[in-house]
Amino acid sequence: MRRELLGRLIGTVVVVMSAPVTAQTPTSHAQMSHDHGGATSACNSPTLACATKVTPAFAADGTLWLAWMAAGIVSVAHSQDGGRTFSPAVAVNPTPLDLDWGPDARPKIAIDGDGRIFVAFAIFKDKAFNGEVFYTRSADGGHSFEPPRPITTNQESQRFEAIALDPNGALFAAWLDKRNRAPAKERNEKYVGAGLAFTWSDDHGAGVAESTLAVDNTCECCRLGIGFVGPGQPVVAFRNVFGGTVRDHAVITFADPHTPGPVQRISVDDWKTDVCPHQGPSLAVASGGTYHVTWFTNGNVRKGVFYANSRDGGRTFSDPVAIGQPGRNPSRPFLLEVRGALWLTWKEFDGEDTTVTTMVSHDDGRTWSAPKTVAQTADTSDHPLLTTDGKTAYLSWQTKNEGYHLIALRDVP
Amino acid sequence: MKRRTMRRWILPVILAAAALALPDAIGSASPGELHEFVRGSWKAIRHAQAGRPVVVHFWGVTCGPCQVEMPRWDKLLHERADLELVTVNADLVPDDPGAVSNMLAETGLAGAENWMFNDGFVERLRFEIDPQWQGEIPLTVLIGRDGGTTTIEGVVEPDVIRTWLDGQVQASK
Repeated sequence: MRRELLGRLIGTVVVVMSAPVTAQTPTSHAQMSHDHGGATSACNSPTLACATKVTPAFAADGTLWLAWMAAGIVSVAHSQDGGRTFSPAVAVNPTPLDLDWGPDARPKIAIDGDGRIFVAFAIFKDKAFNGEVFYTRSADGGHSFEPPRPITTNQESQRFEAIALDPNGALFAAWLDKRNRAPAKERNEKYVGAGLAFTWSDDHGAGVAESTLAVDNTCECCRLGIGFVGPGQPVVAFRNVFGGTVRDHAVITFADPHTPGPVQRISVDDWKTDVCPHQGPSLAVASGGTYHVTWFTNGNVRKGVFYANSRDGGRTFSDPVAIGQPGRNPSRPFLLEVRGALWLTWKEFDGEDTTVTTMVSHDDGRTWSAPKTVAQTADTSDHPLLTTDGKTAYLSWQTKNEGYHLIALRDVP
Repeated sequence: MKRRTMRRWILPVILAAAALALPDAIGSASPGELHEFVRGSWKAIRHAQAGRPVVVHFWGVTCGPCQVEMPRWDKLLHERADLELVTVNADLVPDDPGAVSNMLAETGLAGAENWMFNDGFVERLRFEIDPQWQGEIPLTVLIGRDGGTTTIEGVVEPDVIRTWLDGQVQASK
């Protein structure tokens, strides 16, 4: 298995930090690789090997933590050796739940400077795909998690949560929330999309304040991107609904923890549609304050994956730059800045294989290195994510055939 | 009307499947059942309809607009004898066949020719249909008498289909 994975890695700029997780069951991978049965897939245990969505986060001490979903369970484990081996998994929800399996949904994990581990996830609570977001934390180094609690008392529907720690370590959460749908219906008014809700915890994740909406009528089916311009000042990137029908991207910047700023449009793509794109943006707020955003659109103005930046706090954005090879269906882009290096990764597909490509910018997004393909797989896979231990950028990617891999990205400035 | 549509389609599809030596799953469905849409199914559908216009509608149980649109297809089937409709459940995540069948029944389309994506690596199914398609639904592909295709993202207005069908009638003269 390890040899197979290594054989698939391409490019001299890549250093492989891990093979598929030895603590899992390699034989089940081999069986799965021949199983294209879709929903009837035989892999139905809560192990990392069976995970469809895996989210990474590094602790301050360099420990890699993963949260994943499999068989209705959100599990957490950690690795002290760059993902080669993992601790026994701890179930966040001991009883299986109908976890949100939307393409852009995944469990979230964040770790503060004192080692508290925060996890959030969403479930489907009915057959109409209304969701409910839960959060929990571990205050004992990941040995146990407090019982998951709803992130809001509102009973309507919440999905696509995101959690992040501001520069002072305060826990911020945002999600898409349909709390205004029922009141609109009572007024016989059409309700579009969902609201962008947010809250903070002032007690290190033991509880959260009652939430409010930053903006209403955003797109209801795409992930959020979060960054910070300072303590108590989140920036949230999201797919908005402009004019009731156009699903283009926007950012809001908070003036203070409780005052979201205006909706600032990233690009006029003019994706006038009533479909759910299921592809949200990725945002990186660089240490110098530049907003870097990447996204997918199928708009009338442009189609594909694009990158743009703002050097004036979101008031204006640069012209979008197309990312990837158009004939290879680029998708699922993700951004991360590490020590002045801005990394961008995305997926491509040629009809047989999915590849993950990365490129890096050392001048705040003005110019980029040549794209390098760093991994590939011949079956289904999770979105490629980037994470860092504060020194190095890593690609974190779960594939059905090869399992989990963490790949250190090296470049020549 | 629904049964007419089914009978006119099931035999050519089965024959095409046999001719192309496609996976057994395609030919295994009986009228009223879901056909498994696997690699090669798109080619089979195209082959089976060669020379005749057909509307292929991709939808999902997780798709809100689809719940509005599906009953419209049932009405159009009753209205237009020249409408040949194939539906394909193409949820972004493989779905429960029971839920798919229930929604088809609730929207009056249980008797149409219905397919359901059945490949855990759904990207390659979409790639065979349209390399640029990233899975947004609803999506409708109009395949003309000459084999030319028109792809419509989002909910289709019935008048668009009526106009297209009228054009196909003209093209046959």
